[in-house]
Amino acid sequence: MPKVKIPRKSTAIDMTAMCDVAFLLLTFFILTTRFRAAEVVQIDIPASTAQIPIPDNDIMMFNIAPDGKMFFGVDKQEVRLKILDKIEERYQLKFNNQQREAFRTLELWGMDVNQLSDFLSKEPNERAMVKQPGLKIDTTGGNQLEALILDARKADFDVHNNTLLRVAIKCDKTTEYKAFDKLIEALQNLKVNKFNLITSAKNSAE
Amino acid sequence: MAEMNVPAGGGKKGHKKQRAKKMSTRVDLTAMVDLGFLLITFFMLATTFNKPKTMEVNKPAKDEKIKEEPPIKMSKTLSLMLSSRDNVFHYVSPDDIDANTELSVDSANYGAAGLRKVIQRRQAQVKAQWGDQDELFIMIKPLPKSKYKNIVDVLDEMNINGVKRYAILPPNDPIDSLIALRLGETRK
Repeated sequence: MPKVKIPRKSTAIDMTAMCDVAFLLLTFFILTTRFRAAEVVQIDIPASTAQIPIPDNDIMMFNIAPDGKMFFGVDKQEVRLKILDKIEERYQLKFNNQQREAFRTLELWGMDVNQLSDFLSKEPNERAMVKQPGLKIDTTGGNQLEALILDARKADFDVHNNTLLRVAIKCDKTTEYKAFDKLIEALQNLKVNKFNLITSAKNSAE
Repeated sequence: MAEMNVPAGGGKKGHKKQRAKKMSTRVDLTAMVDLGFLLITFFMLATTFNKPKTMEVNKPAKDEKIKEEPPIKMSKTLSLMLSSRDNVFHYVSPDDIDANTELSVDSANYGAAGLRKVIQRRQAQVKAQWGDQDELFIMIKPLPKSKYKNIVDVLDEMNINGVKRYAILPPNDPIDSLIALRLGETRK
């Protein structure tokens, strides 16, 4: 019998299509990614059946840690800078350009306003190591929290000429109601009666 | 790729002109694909895919709160008191309190079998008495030591059961203070 010779085929595959797909997906992911902000504190949010997605921009964000420490941030960088101006004015502080730059990129912070200057002078990696003590909420002699909310709203008004700034509250599951109530109290004193509580999704059967 | 440019045929000796070799235009894309997928993996992991949801809360403005509204009949209400022990105490305040008034307070958990049943039962009662379950007014009274999760759960239950009227109030009633005292919790 004659031997049947099977012709050897090249094992090479045409990668072009695969490469196309890979880069198409890559482009998609690059464009849709919004990086998670570095967390100052670990916050485990509760779940609810609410379906409204969190608004994309113009947010004043409050984080409350399990121990009641409160952190603050706004999403727009120009608003942040304006807030810093207002803080300078209100507390008779002076920030240099380097500190301003640091504040501009600061997602969330929580400390006595008077410590801010020291904190902003630090190197970025040093700053990440600092344990922030949380916003100072004292009821006697001027409430820094209320002043901050007021300043943020004014700053937003200066930038956008409208009052779209929405309040979002991200609070840990185990935070005591007392701490949350303090924030609500401050907001209501400034006639902010509408806010968003950030939760993760679950279905109602659980 | 295992592509090779094999010189075409055995060169005859008589050939003088050396033709320029035709190079294959194929490029090995394997490495590029590898890189592409690596980056995809990175971006996929870095993306926050399911966006957190938010629950909108509207509070009545502070100053005009009490003046405007006529008092609500207590028999249309349900009070929920959130304790620090991950459960909720619920009671219905009587319309008028006198020496013989009896009040039953019961506790429930936040699950579908606990609080939801309580609210649904109360909705049915209000419907039977007043003809419309939307007459029900729920007073949510969190004690300061209760957890944030609890208040979210309760607000969520309001959504799930379609309770139209509810409010978050400080536990200031005499009844509230009595219950808090029994629980050994502070009200403020």
